[in-house]
Parts: sequence; C-alpha cells; structure tokens
Amino acid sequence: MILIMAWRNIWRSMTRSLVVMGAIAVGIWAALSLTGFATGMVKSYVNNAVQNIVSHIQVHQPEFLDENEVKYNIPDAEAVEQAIRAEPGVKAVSVRSVVNGMISSSKGARGVSIKGVIPEEEARVNALDENIVEGDYLSGEGRNPILVSSELAKKLNVKVRSKVVLNFQDRGGSITAAAFRIVGIFDTDNNPFDLSHVFVRRNDLNSLLIPAADSSLAVEGLAHEIALMVDDIRQVNLIAASLSSKFPNLKVQTYREISPDLELYEGQIKNISLIYLTVIMLALVFGIINTMLMAVLERIKELGMLMAIGMNKLRVFLMIVLESALLGLVAMPVGLLLGYITIEYVGANGIDMSMYAKGLESFGMSSIIYFELDPIVYLQVAVGVFLTAILASIYPALKAIRLKPVEALRTI
Amino acid sequence: MKVITTKGVVKIYNPDKIPVKALNGVDLEISEGEFTAIVGPSGSGKTTLLNIIGGLDRPDEGDVEVGGHDIDAMSDNKLIDFRKEHIGFVFQAYNLIPVLTARENVEFVMLLQNRPKEERHGRAEELLRAVGLEDKMDKRPSELSGGQQQRVAVARALAPKPDFILADEPTANLDSKSTANLLDLMAQLNKEEKVTFIFSTHDQRVIDRARRVVTLVDGKVATDEVRESE
Repeated sequence: MILIMAWRNIWRSMTRSLVVMGAIAVGIWAALSLTGFATGMVKSYVNNAVQNIVSHIQVHQPEFLDENEVKYNIPDAEAVEQAIRAEPGVKAVSVRSVVNGMISSSKGARGVSIKGVIPEEEARVNALDENIVEGDYLSGEGRNPILVSSELAKKLNVKVRSKVVLNFQDRGGSITAAAFRIVGIFDTDNNPFDLSHVFVRRNDLNSLLIPAADSSLAVEGLAHEIALMVDDIRQVNLIAASLSSKFPNLKVQTYREISPDLELYEGQIKNISLIYLTVIMLALVFGIINTMLMAVLERIKELGMLMAIGMNKLRVFLMIVLESALLGLVAMPVGLLLGYITIEYVGANGIDMSMYAKGLESFGMSSIIYFELDPIVYLQVAVGVFLTAILASIYPALKAIRLKPVEALRTI
Repeated sequence: MKVITTKGVVKIYNPDKIPVKALNGVDLEISEGEFTAIVGPSGSGKTTLLNIIGGLDRPDEGDVEVGGHDIDAMSDNKLIDFRKEHIGFVFQAYNLIPVLTARENVEFVMLLQNRPKEERHGRAEELLRAVGLEDKMDKRPSELSGGQQQRVAVARALAPKPDFILADEPTANLDSKSTANLLDLMAQLNKEEKVTFIFSTHDQRVIDRARRVVTLVDGKVATDEVRESE
C-alpha cells in the first residue's frame, strides 16, 4: 500500500510532477544525444583517419620511420606481402613506395609525401578512389599520372590535366625530377593530410627511385610501406602481434600506435558520456530535491498524522524515496525512447554540420556527423538517473522523518 | 481495569522564553469502557493532555501510564509502534489519507501491523458497514462529506482494536445532524463493543452525551463528574 500511496501522491500535483518528469526525460534525451553526437564525431574522425590515411596496420623498415629515407626499403617486399596476405583476418593489402619531395607548378611549390601505389590495391585499403571529386582515379593508362587533393590544387593553382613536376632524391642520393599529369583531384575531409600527400603509380615512382646503375633491385621489388585493413577492427592487436613475430626485423604498428591521437580520442568516448551524465544528473538533483521538498512541506500535517497513527519513520522515509524513484521511473522510458529515436534517426541520416565544415575538416572530421551510441550507455544513463532520483529524495525524506507528529498536526 | 493513569503531569511550552504552563499537575485515571469528555475553556490544556495520553507529546514532569506501560520511557520509534497497537486517534480535521479510498484508509493501520490481507479486507468492510458507509467504501475523502469523513476516521481508529480511542474535538467541523449521528455511533460502539472513548471538546452536545466529564481550568483538573449512564 505504501507503493500505491507513493504512486498516487505523485499525481496529486500533476502539473508539478509532469514538469519534473519532463525535465528528467529531457535530461536523459540530452545525455544520450550529446554522447551520441560526441561518439559519432570521434568515430567519424577515427574512421576517416583509418580509412583514408593510416589504415589498420602498417609495416615498415624501422629505420625508415626514423630517417624517412628511400634507401630504407622493406627487404624482400614481395615475400613479406605474400605472407601478410596469407595471414587470417587480413582483408586488403597495399604495398607502397614512399618518398618525401617537392611538387611544383608554374604558380608555386610545396613539400609533399609522394606515395607510389598499385591503384586497385590502394582502392581496397583506403577509400581514395571514392574520394575523387574531379577527374578520374589512377589507372594503368597514360604516362606518369598523379592524384593531388583539391586543397593542394588550389595552392598550386592547377586543375585536372595540368602538369606538375616532382623533385626528390633517388636511392643513390641524386636529385631526380619528373613531370606528372594530374588525372584526378581527391578530397578526404582532412586538410592537413590532403595538403601533404600526392599519389602516383608505384612502378612510375620506383623507376625514378632506382638509379639506372642500381641493378640490385627490380622496379617491382621496391617498397617502403605495407598498409593493410583487417576484417574485424577488434582483431587489430592480435594480427599485429602475429605479424611482428613473423617479421622480427620489421616494425609492425597498429593505427593506435601510428596515430596516438586516435587512441586518445577513442578512450575519450567513455569519459565524454560520463561527463555529460554527471553534469545533467547534477542539474536534475536540484530539480528533484526542489520538487520533493515542496511535496513534503505541503504535506506536513498529513505526515504528522501518518506518524501519529503508527507509520514508523522508516516507512515514511521509504514512501518519500519511492515517490522520487517513481518520478524517475516514469520519466525514464520516455527519455530513453526519445534518445533512442534521435540516435537511430541521426545515425541513419546524419546531421549536416556544413556550416562549420571548414573547421571540422581542418581537424580531419567529415561535415556530416552520424550519431552513434554504445548500447551500454542507455543502461548507464538509466541507472544514473534512477540513482539521482533516489539521492535527491534523501534530504526531503530526512526532513519528513524529523517532523514531530504533535507539531506537524498543529500546522494548517 | 485502568487504561490510563496520569500523576502530577506538567507540560510547559516555551520553557526558555516566555514559559506557558499548559498542564500544571494533572492526576487522572481512566478505566476501560469509559465514555469521557475532557472539557474546559480554550487554553485550559485539553489538547495537550490528550497529546500526552496519546504518546504524541511528552510531559516535562509527572508519570503517564497507558495500559500498564510507562510511555515516557519509550523511544520515539517505540512510541510510534505503541500508538499503532494500543491507541486509536480521531482528529478534529478528520485527517484521512487523501490518496486512499475509505476502505484503504481503514485498512492502513492494519497494514502497518502486518495483518493478513483477508483479515484487513474483512474488518475494513465490517467497520465501514458499522459506521453506515457500506456504499462509500471506494470513495476517496474528497468525495465524502465532513460527517462521512469523520465516520471513516472512527472506523480507522477502531480497525487495529486499540485499548482506547482519543478524539480531539471530533465534532468541531460537523453540522448538528452529522454530530448527532457521530455521537450515536460512538455511544453505540461504547455500549455494545465496550470501546473506551476519551474526547476533548467544547461542544455542549458532546458534553451532554458523556458519562464522565473532566473539566480542566488553567492546566489542572477543576471538576471530575461521573454521571449515570444514558
């Protein structure tokens, strides 16, 4: 009957109860939506970086990572490539030659990292072919084709079919220059990356990197970087460890090691939801305390009567706590449902942030954010709000049991 | 058998500022089956005495024994339990639980006593029938008249089978007809069920029906008149 009384009591002042329930529901909705937004943003950043830039795992010669010189290529790259392809769980592999150099047009020049790739393989590892906004992706046709980003094209004042010159050092240490024709322009939504990378065919680059006098290496054999994607991102560490043990002389790195910022952001998702939840719970605590305090203060005489006729303090305390818990429990499904609908809808359709897209892209995030939420967050929010409701009722409940029946009965 | 004994009960309000002696040495004995009115002018200490007998307030001096128990020695929580088992209350302003129906109000104290459901239901119906509200059992207090609410309050006070019922000005808010009906009901319960009633009242209609009238003046028993039964 105490439960029945608590339930009926919360409907005695319907407007007040509905207002506080509304606040709880909106609080839950806001906590879920904000966490969904933050998670979506971080995932967008991580996915963007993984897909377009770092891939899941990269393999290099250790010295190449320190010195960044073309002479530190992966020895016996073809055999390594075969072994990696044979590794279970590996989805796609791209073998690249990499050299730092300068790209110049008639209007200007910039330092870039030149990546020599096999077009079909590269398309399977990153979404480069999908990021072409003008012109075409690399193909087997034509002489010395090159892909540059739209940002870089703007800086160099070039467009599709323009000619650019690449300068870099070959394996022998001599400066080499070659003309390339722009066949396509890409845009990965990550400005820093876009400005500093260009893509050419690996054989075109290798034939320039290997001096005519150097017969130790075939054009197909020169590679500095093997990038790979795995089927299941959760297996990344396992596969990397297995490759490390197979190639003790090579450096095998996961995307978290290559870009520690990704790991940091991934780790922040949990903290973000906790911070949002704490802030919202704090706001709710005061709302609920206020409501429950009003509910107690306007019922002093009734509470005095209940204690006079034999309702002990524990039961009075429980009744007030139950009233608050019921407020939370009624509002909770509404808030969770609103949050779920928002997450699902924006998760499917995305929210267009193009107003701020310029800013987002300079951080490597896309302009459309798709909300995403770990299901455990629903549980965390539900438990958090329930505990908040209980916690917020303790002070009003203590106030109620401190009443002296004889004084309470005298109030009007 | 004595149900209530007070010896030299003194109650002082505002002891630190302007002390007011609400009770100034009250000696009183009330036996089982009495139908007693405590009367007196405003401020004479009627309600204070009732509160002390009912264990709602504590005396500053003197002894109060209820059903052989020294209630002043009990802790607050123990006193709540004691009231639940031994004392029925009827208040001036009815003081029913507004969110419960008449039946639930009557059942409430039995529920606090952890009585089984069937017993609670059966007794609540029996009592509401006895007070003439068999057709209002599922109405909430706001749907009942003042007289009907006070009858529910009497039924609620009777439900746990208390040693006695304390009624603080029970007719103060009732019209003459409701007052007469309520007095008939209480007199009948007193006569047939041997329920002990103690009222505080100003109401001459109540005083006329009482079989013992204790008059308080300035916190002391001025007269104690026992009448022949009606």
